[in-house]
Amino acid sequence: MGSVEEKIGPHHFPDEDDHTPFHSSSPSASISKVHTFNFETSVVDFRRSSIFNVTRMSRSVYVVLIKAKINMLLPFGPLAILLHYLTGHHGWVFFFTLLGITPLAERLGYATEQLAFYTGPTVGGLLNATFGNATEMIISIYALKSDMIRVVQQSLLGSILSNMLLVLGCAFFTGGLAHYKKVQVFDKAAAVVNSGLLLMAVMGTLFPAVLYFTHSELHQGKSVLSLSRFSSCVMLVAYASYLFFQLRSQQNVYSPVDEEGDNGQNSDEEEEIELTQWEAIIWLAILTAWVSVLSGYLVDAIQGASDSLNMSVAFISVILLPIVGNAAEHASAIMFAMKDKLDITIGVAIGSSTQISMFVIPFCVVVGWCMGKEMDLNFQLFETATLFITVLVVAFMMQEGTSNYFKGLMLILCYLIVAASFFVHVDPKSESNLHCYHLSIS
Amino acid sequence: METPVEVIPTRVASGFVDDLSETCKMGSPNGRAMHNSDDEVPLDSEMNFHLSESGLVDAHGSRPGESWTAHRETFWCNICRSIQVVVFSNKLNLLMPFGPLAILVQKFTGHLGWVFGLSLLGIMPLAERLGYATEQLAFYTGDTVGGLLNATFGNATELIISIYALKNGMTRVVQLSLLGSILSNMLLVLGCAFLCGGIVFNKKEQVFNKASASVNSGLLLMAVMGILFPAVLHYTHTEVHVGKSELSLSRFSSCIMLVAYAAYLFFQLKSQRNLYVSVNEEEGQNGNNSNDDESPNISKWESIIWLSVMTAWISILSEYLVGAIEGASSAWEIPVAFISVILLPLVGNAAEHASAIMFAMKDKLDISLGVAIGSSTQISMFVIPFCVVIGWIMGHPMDLNFQLFETAALFLTVIVVTFMLQEGTANYFKGLMLILCYLIVAASFYVHMDSSQ
Repeated sequence: MGSVEEKIGPHHFPDEDDHTPFHSSSPSASISKVHTFNFETSVVDFRRSSIFNVTRMSRSVYVVLIKAKINMLLPFGPLAILLHYLTGHHGWVFFFTLLGITPLAERLGYATEQLAFYTGPTVGGLLNATFGNATEMIISIYALKSDMIRVVQQSLLGSILSNMLLVLGCAFFTGGLAHYKKVQVFDKAAAVVNSGLLLMAVMGTLFPAVLYFTHSELHQGKSVLSLSRFSSCVMLVAYASYLFFQLRSQQNVYSPVDEEGDNGQNSDEEEEIELTQWEAIIWLAILTAWVSVLSGYLVDAIQGASDSLNMSVAFISVILLPIVGNAAEHASAIMFAMKDKLDITIGVAIGSSTQISMFVIPFCVVVGWCMGKEMDLNFQLFETATLFITVLVVAFMMQEGTSNYFKGLMLILCYLIVAASFFVHVDPKSESNLHCYHLSIS
Repeated sequence: METPVEVIPTRVASGFVDDLSETCKMGSPNGRAMHNSDDEVPLDSEMNFHLSESGLVDAHGSRPGESWTAHRETFWCNICRSIQVVVFSNKLNLLMPFGPLAILVQKFTGHLGWVFGLSLLGIMPLAERLGYATEQLAFYTGDTVGGLLNATFGNATELIISIYALKNGMTRVVQLSLLGSILSNMLLVLGCAFLCGGIVFNKKEQVFNKASASVNSGLLLMAVMGILFPAVLHYTHTEVHVGKSELSLSRFSSCIMLVAYAAYLFFQLKSQRNLYVSVNEEEGQNGNNSNDDESPNISKWESIIWLSVMTAWISILSEYLVGAIEGASSAWEIPVAFISVILLPLVGNAAEHASAIMFAMKDKLDISLGVAIGSSTQISMFVIPFCVVIGWIMGHPMDLNFQLFETAALFLTVIVVTFMLQEGTANYFKGLMLILCYLIVAASFYVHMDSSQ
């Protein structure tokens, strides 16, 4: 079909190569899709064709599943499921599931972004804010259902640490190397607002922990939980107003940051619409379901993997699990830094941390509340201290508004220190939790 | 503390009183002209020249050789007018009867919950009027002494309540109420100011003077350091003389903090006057700019007298307030920590709260910041060390070890606020964040059981 051929054509232009092999802008949707209207004619062409047209479907499958190079990892998913049923060797199952979810997470971001083309900036931004960390959320909800509360806390914490230190550090480092001559700058105002939000999240996490550890709760055992639930509601309100604030009032000021991945509305070319609206929604649903299925196996395999790989569950939850959800963000942040679009990088990295700390974590507490699980904000002293110090370090780094490869290197080295600490950290609480879990299923 | 809101009713009142009696002409037109030239000497000398045992006498009108009867009429007239201006012109003063009511309830029923609540309500207008009297007095004393007066009396209510609590040996209440006052100023007052200002000035970002904000932040961090070290010393069980080291460290740190505060005042008032003028001014002088129908409404002696009257009244009510804390805690079934940290500071801060919000809505963020953060700095660097020293003199073991939970809360709050202020701009979202942080802090204290009680 002629129009479809033309649509696919531009993909082979050289300047598209940057984001075609690995569709960079995953957890993102552009807030101001001015160029949406340029594609109106092609969209109309799309819509004319029926959804059930076989050519269209195969075209769609090609675009979503085959074109991006990362999708080579896709077969690992079903392979992991096979392994689970055939051998029950948890180490391999865990590892393969990790590899299998990575491309799915990236495609999920891609589908979200495609859908955002159709819904306009506001809802697009909202979509992105919610689905940006869909993978972490799905994994966390599965873990909650299995009563692995500690895993939830640690994996979310690890995701924040990974975003703030590793992703940002790699981005600053590579960007600094690529633009060696000059110092890269970014928008301080947005960075400060995000730092403030992260500090507020730390506050929400710190108080229950300190309350617990100074043994000064009013109703032993129950106060921490009620305080956590109250704080979670407050934090969700804060996040909602942050979204409102970003999307409505300060559109002009913060738009460069909002473009997380949308490659700006400037020289960087067109984020093509490659799927129709319905296709995007359907793929969104399919990918979410697929991620959920694999997450189930992933979560079940954690304890077994910990035994066979001889690593603590804490290390797996904090360091290994977040690699999955963050792989796509990682790549896109690095790519944008190398293009000297630090605002977008910061938006991807720090925005994702803010999203997890102010939305996903409180949301999990509330979901746990509904499910009757005792998920609270008391992340135990070691993890809370780590989070606090990390937020301080990153806030100070970003306060100046400039970056260079040395700052990036410092952040990466900090991450190595954190990872090493968790490697040798025995988490007293999680051991007992998982033993209870194993007792209950055996 | 100032509330220009009352300027309008005051003027109406003065017009009314003028109509009432010609002998009671106010010298305000003269006073204002004198004041705006920022030169207090002529005003003083005029007043001193015409001063009898009463207050203001019209410079043009009466002569020193007036008859004794006329003096007496003038005297009573002035008292009425003074009462009119100070007591009746402000709507907040509707709460004043609650004070005596609290005393009555204490005597007759002894239901401490009610006594506590009523005295809380009764002290609020007094605190505000105290600020008003201080500000009026500051007109006569000029910038320097005025700033000093304000720095001392700005938190007079907290100071008085703390001294009473100290006398009763309730050192924990002192620590908690002062901590709560700092938290309330930094989070709630500042947050409300930013929020209201941001909503009113939706289109633009409000700016404030970064330099003074960062000096204040530095001082607050120094105060946190002074409080943190005794607490950490205690909790790592690494004191050289167990039990005594912490107290001596606290007392030494308090002296240092008082020196720092004195240096800060000196720095603000003498050396950097131009830089800090907009921040310094509010505390009673409402800036010399558009807001300026701030003329003295009462004479110098009247303000001194009212200052002492208010202080005495506040002291009496504070005694009942402090005595009723424990009873209120058991009657209302909330922890004493919550009452001290969250409820008590509402009293001392109500007036600052209102004035900060009002200034933010007039786009005078520097003054709002001066009110809110300046008050926090004052409490942390002056009132707290001062209480430790007073405790030292009285023989009470008041120290700077605020226990781990409170110290952590203070530390975190100071860091959050420092980051917020660092940029020099404000919008409604920052205000909302600060208020939500305050909610989290308040909720933590609601479920916090203070182990040292």
